[in-house]
Amino acid sequence: MKVEIYIIKERCKGCGICVEVCQTKVLELSEELNSQGFRTPNVINPEECLNCGMCEMFCSDFAIWVSIETEKVGV
Amino acid sequence: MKSIERYHPADSFLNTDSFPSVWCPGCGIGTAVYTFIESVKEVNIDLDKIAVISGIGCTGKIAECLKLNTSSVTDGSVVDCAVQLKEKDKDLTVAVFLNNADFLLSGAKDFIDAGKKGADLIVIYVNNFICAISENKIFPISPFMRMSIDNEFELPYNIPYLAKSCGANYVARWTPIHAGWMKYSIIEGILKKGFSVIEVVSPCLLYNANNGSIQDAVDRMRFYNDNSEIKVGESAENLDLRSQNKVIIGKFMDSEEKAG
Ligand code: SF4
Ligand code: SF4
Ligand code: SF4
Repeated sequence: MKVEIYIIKERCKGCGICVEVCQTKVLELSEELNSQGFRTPNVINPEECLNCGMCEMFCSDFAIWVSIETEKVGV
Repeated sequence: MKSIERYHPADSFLNTDSFPSVWCPGCGIGTAVYTFIESVKEVNIDLDKIAVISGIGCTGKIAECLKLNTSSVTDGSVVDCAVQLKEKDKDLTVAVFLNNADFLLSGAKDFIDAGKKGADLIVIYVNNFICAISENKIFPISPFMRMSIDNEFELPYNIPYLAKSCGANYVARWTPIHAGWMKYSIIEGILKKGFSVIEVVSPCLLYNANNGSIQDAVDRMRFYNDNSEIKVGESAENLDLRSQNKVIIGKFMDSEEKAG
């Protein structure tokens, strides 16, 4: 199963909750800052992702989500 | 991972211009909004038949960020506005987001009236233990050990008990860490005919009500994960936040007839 993880860096506020709730340690807070000066998460080992949707559910800023549809491209 | 040309699954419900949102990093209000959107998706009702009313302050911004029929009204008249809307159009599903200022500070009477009438509303009350104007005063929901600058203190309210005694048909309490359960509670609340009250215990991160320090979102989430206990069907008298070591969460009441 190939899971795609999408992150809108400009919405992220660097709270780190997605990094914390991910049980398989897919994400990591990077040193990279977005335009508002928040540290944004990076995907470090995408093949471990279980598509559990925890990061998506707990992100209070609608900045991260997962999807298994790899072909369908919106807009 | 990819730069973004795609949409978040909730984006069709969101006013994307208002993002990044106004909430603090990791505030539970965002999770409450996400679960509300997920449950609306699941219930599959006509989006023209949903109205969301919110008041002032941080939860008031929910009306701005949702692309549904929303309205942000002055504090104290939120529940009243929702009741009247529901009376005008019986098919409408009316959801109300309340915070402490809209509820305990000025809208409590409307809330009790709506409960007594058995208005068919779903009330999502985000309890962040603070009301900004009460920064150095005590407040009906101030945590037990917190005192005002004049060393007054007050015992905090038991909201599920209040909701039950004024005639709610559905009462639940969750924290943002229990978003998966919260989603099913909101679905049940939407489908329930009658007054449904869901309390979301989501402490403010910006202002820790105990000592006024700024909190780390991850620590707060971990604290509430470790210190909450699910007890479904617990009687509402025991749900006081002051007399227990753990926050008791769960669904406490689900009945067809009015209690009260
Ligand atoms: S979907 Fe689950 S496993 Fe994948 S990144 Fe998110 S939290 Fe981690
Ligand atoms: S949970 Fe959301 S806002 Fe917080 S760090 Fe992750 S992507 Fe950013
Ligand atoms: S953390 Fe407190 S001040 Fe910040 S958005 Fe949440 S409730 Fe409001």
